[in-house]
Amino acid sequence: MSVVVMPPMTRTSTSSSSSYVAVSRQNTISSHDGRSARQSKRYSTALYLSMSAKEKDLEIEDDLARAQKIQRDYKAKISSQSKKNFVLEKDVRYLDSRIALLIQNRMALEEQNEVASHLEEASDLQEGFFPNDEKTQKYGNLLFMLQSEPRHIAHLCRLVTMAEIDSLLQTVMFTIYGNQYESREEHLLLTMFQSVLTYQFDHTQEYSSLLRANTPVSRMMTTYTRRGPGQSYLKVVLQEKINSLIELKDVDLEINPLKVYTSMIAKIEEDTGSVPEYLPKAVTAEQAAENEQVQAIIAPRLKMLMDIATSFLETIIEGLDETPYGIRWICKQIRSLSKRKYPDAGDQTICTLIGGFFFLRFINPAIVTPRSYMLIDDTPSEHPRRTLTLVAKMLQNLANKPSYAKEPYMAKLQPFIQQNKERVNRFMLDLCEVQDFYESLEMDNYVALSKKDLGLSITLNEVYATHALLEKHSAALARDDNSHLGVILQDLGPAPAQLPRKENRAINLPLFSKWETAIDDMTAALDITQEEVFFMEAKATFVQILRSLPTSSSVARRPLRLDRVAEAAATLKNDAVMVRKGIRSMELLSQLQDLGVIDRSDGFALLRDEVEQELVHLGSLKEKVLEETKKLEEVFRTIRDHNTYLHGQLETYKSYLHNVRSQSEGKSRKQQKQQVLGPYKFTHQQLEKEGVIQKSNVPDNRRANIFFNFTSPLPGTFVISLHYKGRNRGLLELDLKLDDLLEMQKDNQEALDLEYVQFNVPKVLALLNKRFARKKGW
Amino acid sequence: MSQREYHIVVLGAGGVGKSCLTAQFVQNVWIESYDPTIEDSYRKQIEVDGKQCILEILDTAGTEQFTAMRELYMKSGQGFLLVFSITSLSSLTELHELRDQIVRIKDDPQVPLVIVGNKSDLDDERVVSRARAFAVSQSWGNVHYYETSARRRANVDEAFVDLCRQIIRKDAATSTIRDMERGSRRQRDRPSHRHRTHHHRGHRGRSQRPQGISCSIL
Ligand SMILES: Nc1nc2c(ncn2[C@@H]2O[C@H](COP(=O)(O)OP(=O)(O)O)[C@@H](O)[C@H]2O)c(=O)[nH]1
Ligand SMILES: [Mg+2]
Repeated sequence: MSVVVMPPMTRTSTSSSSSYVAVSRQNTISSHDGRSARQSKRYSTALYLSMSAKEKDLEIEDDLARAQKIQRDYKAKISSQSKKNFVLEKDVRYLDSRIALLIQNRMALEEQNEVASHLEEASDLQEGFFPNDEKTQKYGNLLFMLQSEPRHIAHLCRLVTMAEIDSLLQTVMFTIYGNQYESREEHLLLTMFQSVLTYQFDHTQEYSSLLRANTPVSRMMTTYTRRGPGQSYLKVVLQEKINSLIELKDVDLEINPLKVYTSMIAKIEEDTGSVPEYLPKAVTAEQAAENEQVQAIIAPRLKMLMDIATSFLETIIEGLDETPYGIRWICKQIRSLSKRKYPDAGDQTICTLIGGFFFLRFINPAIVTPRSYMLIDDTPSEHPRRTLTLVAKMLQNLANKPSYAKEPYMAKLQPFIQQNKERVNRFMLDLCEVQDFYESLEMDNYVALSKKDLGLSITLNEVYATHALLEKHSAALARDDNSHLGVILQDLGPAPAQLPRKENRAINLPLFSKWETAIDDMTAALDITQEEVFFMEAKATFVQILRSLPTSSSVARRPLRLDRVAEAAATLKNDAVMVRKGIRSMELLSQLQDLGVIDRSDGFALLRDEVEQELVHLGSLKEKVLEETKKLEEVFRTIRDHNTYLHGQLETYKSYLHNVRSQSEGKSRKQQKQQVLGPYKFTHQQLEKEGVIQKSNVPDNRRANIFFNFTSPLPGTFVISLHYKGRNRGLLELDLKLDDLLEMQKDNQEALDLEYVQFNVPKVLALLNKRFARKKGW
Repeated sequence: MSQREYHIVVLGAGGVGKSCLTAQFVQNVWIESYDPTIEDSYRKQIEVDGKQCILEILDTAGTEQFTAMRELYMKSGQGFLLVFSITSLSSLTELHELRDQIVRIKDDPQVPLVIVGNKSDLDDERVVSRARAFAVSQSWGNVHYYETSARRRANVDEAFVDLCRQIIRKDAATSTIRDMERGSRRQRDRPSHRHRTHHHRGHRGRSQRPQGISCSIL
């Protein structure tokens, strides 16, 4: 197996900001005194490799390369899987809204059919092409421009309605800038954010309503925080804490005196059968708070809550370096925009706004509803759920100025605020300490232009939807008809309608610019001299040679003797590529010597040191890559599980719809005799194996004698009976309505109790679905 | 007679003034601080048409990232205050989705509900006309519409009391039906699949869905 060295963009880490920013310049940092003039322009080996189009020559196969390959695969899989999930979530949301209409009997038959068709198409798209080359070119040009000039999409995001934003976000976040781990796309996406955020700050009158409303921008932020890196962060930082809390099912940490009082009364009544006179049933909040027993219950809970919240806070603060670069960068933008808008604003004001993003929109939603953030498997039970909500409230209070007028009992948690206020403010300001990426962005753009074959994998409907949005808002977007965007839009003509799902195709669109030509001469484009290029090439070549030689090889010993390394490669047997590299590196050594850049007499120290440093860096890189791959693997698994969950949701809706339809059909043709389906017989063992039985109270030695019959007398109606071998009568009979089962599933009620056994609702549904699917529904 | 307790849920987009309205109603205070809600609960005793009742009011997060919490609120709530701000059209548009979800979860298009257009003091920043909001309330089956100002404490009590009245009426109606059916009818809120007797299949009138998971020991 052989692989191509990764271009610099893909080398970045998912989360660590330091390695993220170091992208284009990691080696300039290791500069030597006295040569700074030249070194300020020195770029990384990786950049050089990506510039160089001769990729075939650069194949390396070592542990690092292999690890990187696996890592890259995960990144690609995560990117594409999260897109699929996004689309599924959209479908689920759509159906959610339709179901309400169905319940109200307000949906016409045609619309029912439409909803059904929405559900029926195959989810995997076929590959396809544009109808003709001309279209391919024009759209290639349009998409190139949208990708390389984020301002157009940023502008569009401000113009679209909430109804339009989802389709736009799908295309923008998962396609145009869909590679979640490529810094160039990430940077362009963030640039777009910056533009949208700036607009929002400029157009919000009052500070108090900044960033509070739900706007296309907030939807964008949600979507963004749920891409791979945000998801990994939540997993790494919060998952363990949340899970250990959830396990404490019976620990009640309620501190609202009224609620505590009420449950105290209920408990007394349950235990003793009556409530003493001096404890009236209905009390005011003040009375409840003054009750000594209530106080005694609450006191230890306050302490526990503060301990828990502190431990959450500590993990979050310790996770500073794990925080995705993009999220930190957004915090930084909020800080600088706030400072610009309110020059007198103190740290507290700024931290409030940062908290309005970081805690309110990123951390706390995951804490209060961990299941929808894929951090836990089941919906938490009542007590832990309340505890999580209280923790989130405490964290939010920490970020904002809490007003205890609202819930006076929260004031009891003030010590937590006092102890941590300063700390959390410092943390939020630390979040903002990330570098900007202008320089690297500029660089990456050159790299993109120098790539000969830039392509985008996109669907026809995404292209058409984007086109339609641009067209709709073209008056605002391309005020000047002669702007590039205006010209392209005119060229393209009216946007085609959306294709039926069955006809939608995934295409690979070659991107190019009508106005800019690919850069052949990188030295001109980057404004670097020939000696820079030689130096970079030499370094890259030596690094490659050394990575390909066995580490035990004598020339690999430090300090390196570059001339010997070159010679060893050039004389290697049976390896033409290495020989070529060896010869090339010899040439480069002498050219650089002639240019006076390096000096044979000091053992080419300048070049040698850099090569050695690069190798050290790569060595530690491997550890990092392996570690990161482990995280990615986990994220991928979670995202895939979430996909299964979403499919389950869709199935639920599908069956519900079929049910409603077959019933209305039944109504219109009353005479038609309904056919009874079943009974189908299942043994205890069978159902246990399929997970339909999730708990059984039947003693082990009796299980073999238990069986079940499933019958469907009418569509949507089922009778399940439980039998014991040898007895005539069943032990138990259960009447089931499909829609009640569906409702239970929607409510996350997973257990269906049959006295002797407990069924798992989703599994029962799946079984019924399989067995009783009638031609038109159930 | 024991006091009845009613659950009210305040819903709407972020920043429309849900918390300010609630605080005004419950505590007569005007709160001005940047303090986004995650979930706050209040209790207030009021008299409506001569009857004492206790209100449990849940003030919720408007931030869309917390949508996953809504379902639970909707299940537990009996009446809903749907709040938007007259200075933001999208905050009105967002109510549609909320109402749809309530109707779905409650399985009842006539669930007690009022629409509240808040910040009426900011009339020069108004972008939602009364007519427009009124049209929405009409299209939902003559749902009552109030324009309020939490800042000036205008119309606040009216909106909450109206909602209470609706809940009380609904409660009375359902208890009558319940009495008539003598407990033979399954309560919607708690599907009780543990019941051991076969249920009488009373039709619910408002939905075509058949009902009842019943289990009998033979
Ligand atoms: N002018 C005016 N501002 C209000 C009114 N109600 C709330 N606000 C302001 O709107 C912002 C958001 O209020 P809040 O109650 O926190 O909104 P919530 O997110 O819906 O709970 C605060 O800054 C309030 O001061 C009102 O009736 N008039
Ligand atoms: Mg609020």
